[in-house]
Amino acid sequence: MKRTLTAMALVLAATAATADSNGEKIVVEFGYPYSHLFDVTYEAILPKFYEAHPNIEIKMRATYESYEDGTNTILREAVAGTLPDVTMQGLNRQAILVEKGIAKSLEPFIAAEEDFAKDGYHQAMLDLGTFDDAVYGLPFSISLPVGYYNMEVMAKAGYDETNLPTTWEEVVQACVKLRDAGVDNPMFWGWNITGNWFLQALMWSQDKPTVMGNDFQLDSEEGLKALNTMQSIFSGCEMQNLEWKAALASFSAGDLGMMYWSTSAVGAVERAMGDFTLVTNEYPGITASGPMGLPAGGNSALLTSTSDDPEQLAAAWAWLKFITSGEGAADVARTTGYMPPNQAANEIILADFYADNPAKATAVRQLPLLREWQAYPGDNGLAATQVIYDGLEGIVTGEFEDMTELQEELSDEVQDLLD
Amino acid sequence: MGSQRAHLWFIGPALILMVIILLIPIVIAMGLSLTDYSLGNQGAAFVGLENYERIFTRSTYEKMFVATFRYVFVVVPLTVGLGLGAALLIHSLGRIGDLYKTIYFLPVMAALIAMAIVWEFAFHPTIGVINSTLERGCGSFLEAWHWYAKGCARTFPLWLNDREYAIWTVSFIGVWQGFGFNMVLYLAGLTSIPAQLYDAAEMDGATRGWDRFRLVTWPLLGPTTVFVVTISFIRSFQVFDMVEAFYPQGGGPSKSVYVMMFAIYEKGIQQNLMGIGAAITVVFLGFVMVLTLIQRRLVERRTHYV
Amino acid sequence: MSDVIQQDTPATTFRFNTRAALTHAVLIVGALIVLLPFYTMISLSLKAPHEIMQQTGGFMGSQQPFRDDFCVKLGNAVEDCLVNPIIYNYTTAFEKAPLLRYLLNGVIVTVSIFVIQVFVALPCAYALAKLRFWGREAVFALVLFCLLIPVHAIALPLYIMLAKLGLTNTYAALVIPWTISVFGIFLMRQFFMTVPDDLIDAARMDGMTEYGIIWRVMLPTAIPALMAFGIFSIVAHWNDYFWPRIVITGNRDLFTPPLGLREFKGDADGDNFGPMMATACIIVTPLIVCFLLAQRRFIEGITLSGMK
Repeated sequence: MKRTLTAMALVLAATAATADSNGEKIVVEFGYPYSHLFDVTYEAILPKFYEAHPNIEIKMRATYESYEDGTNTILREAVAGTLPDVTMQGLNRQAILVEKGIAKSLEPFIAAEEDFAKDGYHQAMLDLGTFDDAVYGLPFSISLPVGYYNMEVMAKAGYDETNLPTTWEEVVQACVKLRDAGVDNPMFWGWNITGNWFLQALMWSQDKPTVMGNDFQLDSEEGLKALNTMQSIFSGCEMQNLEWKAALASFSAGDLGMMYWSTSAVGAVERAMGDFTLVTNEYPGITASGPMGLPAGGNSALLTSTSDDPEQLAAAWAWLKFITSGEGAADVARTTGYMPPNQAANEIILADFYADNPAKATAVRQLPLLREWQAYPGDNGLAATQVIYDGLEGIVTGEFEDMTELQEELSDEVQDLLD
Repeated sequence: MGSQRAHLWFIGPALILMVIILLIPIVIAMGLSLTDYSLGNQGAAFVGLENYERIFTRSTYEKMFVATFRYVFVVVPLTVGLGLGAALLIHSLGRIGDLYKTIYFLPVMAALIAMAIVWEFAFHPTIGVINSTLERGCGSFLEAWHWYAKGCARTFPLWLNDREYAIWTVSFIGVWQGFGFNMVLYLAGLTSIPAQLYDAAEMDGATRGWDRFRLVTWPLLGPTTVFVVTISFIRSFQVFDMVEAFYPQGGGPSKSVYVMMFAIYEKGIQQNLMGIGAAITVVFLGFVMVLTLIQRRLVERRTHYV
Repeated sequence: MSDVIQQDTPATTFRFNTRAALTHAVLIVGALIVLLPFYTMISLSLKAPHEIMQQTGGFMGSQQPFRDDFCVKLGNAVEDCLVNPIIYNYTTAFEKAPLLRYLLNGVIVTVSIFVIQVFVALPCAYALAKLRFWGREAVFALVLFCLLIPVHAIALPLYIMLAKLGLTNTYAALVIPWTISVFGIFLMRQFFMTVPDDLIDAARMDGMTEYGIIWRVMLPTAIPALMAFGIFSIVAHWNDYFWPRIVITGNRDLFTPPLGLREFKGDADGDNFGPMMATACIIVTPLIVCFLLAQRRFIEGITLSGMK
């Protein structure tokens, strides 16, 4: 009953907002990360938004330096009482804000919409921002893991666009052939990408979530398989423990033949690369049929407004909805290396765009595999991420050789933190 | 007369500000170290000494002490020594020395994030200037040196990402960044040594440079040296910006550069576990306090004040 | 008499020159090592993205026009978006972030901080160095203890205190935490202790107040130390990245110069190094100018204070 009343009130408020009843502009305070990447996106979206909603003004706050900075800033602002109305947060950072009650549920607003699904919001996409059966965040920009290949280097080992590796075993074989052909450092695998993303990729490849409720799932068959796969890749390819910027430099200079990272870096790679042919291809699977799921990277829009004014909330919702659907969402693909997870945007608006930009199309082909980028619950969630990171590093440096032992150690330590 | 209590007016503002800006927050931090507070939570539960127990039993914290001590005991002697050496050489040159002074002080003036990026480029394992210069020597007599030959075989070391080398590379950059600071302090100290003392020493037969240094310069630099050593010590214990710039996550390969300040930041801010972060802060302060007292006792005893 | 001097001169000059030459040689080698990163920084600020990542192109880069992605993304044709690296890097540095505003903020903030620091620290240093009073050792011990306190440890409690006062996102928040400089107190105390007591007693007998003694007797003798204090304070607060980031979240008009660099960070998705390095070059320049000017006053200060 209460929900219906809220819904009705909001519908009325929404109508009032668009009817421009009092002529005053409603100001929506907005914060987002990575100025260098997303400034141009919002610059492209704003004129379209103002055309549709002339009485709302979007005030941009100081941009966040990174997803981590974004979350920390929101936490500080929560204590200081200066939260913005809408904030963009990394997908695996939503949980923290939901747990602490800082992010507000979007259910009332969604219920007030006539035909939400029509706007292209399909279920898999909404799942990314759903917690306890309520939607808190609408995903804005999505990325998936892909493989980057330097075709000239791959040609030295006899590979071309038709026979690129599709499983990790084939990747290791390619490494061996490349090393025999004189390539010192054939591959880079992004184990060190934030939030244990690639571990989750290997788990989802086997259709297993990394965390279920409060339980860490590494102590399962799939977990052991994931660790063993990593070990075989690192040792089979004799992978160097490079930091991401160094790996990007190596790939751009033509040193690396294969690089596995997020699709969001396509723009940076294209800008920095030398004179060679770049091809992106599907993320290899553990079995021949390919991965069964892949974690989504990127950020989503959350409502953190502390205002009680229904008009204010309605305006914030209008902005939230605009940037995650239709032309607003399409601009994400046009201006960044991310994809909008909005079906309507991808299939209708951007069809030609992907035809012109094949390097970005790989991730779109993998969209059906979209799964959650999981956060570990509780106050120790981030500490758990670090423990896993350290463990994975140990595999790369060769410090840990027995994967069963490592599996046990990691499971114990992380479960201890999560309890 | 007012001068009896003049000192109260003089130390008053400083004391009040010290208490409000520095001491009260530390007391708050000490209080938080006994809880499990996390930013954004409504309240915090009292957990007693659990956080401290964690620090002294977990292996990651052992790495914290090792990394910090390695850094401090490399950087302090080198920055003090190089700072003194540079100051002496420049001081003997007169006006021309200004150019060198500015050059040597540049590392202190540059924004650290930018410098970290530049050093990362320089230390890149294959295309960075350091390793590509080393590679030029491949195929020459230098290969007789085993380490060099190994480098030529595959690649030269990953200076920033190999746990054998990382802490020393970071220490080197710390010295590069910090000795100019000490140089300026020593220059200030040298200029306050009256010239007559040198003339007097010369008349007493001290004509060689080393004698002048031993009899006049070094003793009169006493107060400056006390200051420089104390400050260098404290500053190097507090190293943070550089580690965060190079290793925003994890504190170096296998945590070999996991210095105490970074641990505080990682736990308190990055991982949002203010309780543990505050506990490490308290342990840090305890450590540094004890070490500073020891160091001051050793140095102050030998200082000659006018 | 004159013969002796004449005989001495050639030999002395010869020895002096070798010595000077050797000094210069050592200093030059040192200078080369010190300058290497700066050479790279300037070089990177002149290059196109692909030359930066692959580390090619010598010092200046080949200056071939490259495609500006941002311009293309906004819907312009590729031909309209070819830019020259140097021009692109430096204009983007000024356009992306209001860099001139940041530089102005840098000046306002660092000067305010230093002036307040001097007024708080110098009297305290004088009292600790030259006046005898009960509790002097305790106060000095407190100063030393405060030196140990790292700002990162107290950042969050300070932030909360300022937030409760409603002072976040203001100049006050940038200045207040730094008004107490225990470093300055310690430094000036060391120098004040080298001033002979007779000078002070003489001034007292001339009827000068204690307060007058600080500014008219102690300060002139410690100009080099004050210059050092000023240089450190200004450089440290000009380059401060951590604290402004914590306390200014609403509006970036209050950012200090180094924060201009964050506009170009992209982390996992690639940074924009060219304009980042250009910004770094721009923000270090005022400091260099300041330092050169300060050196002039350094020398003047020494000659003015006279030989003791």
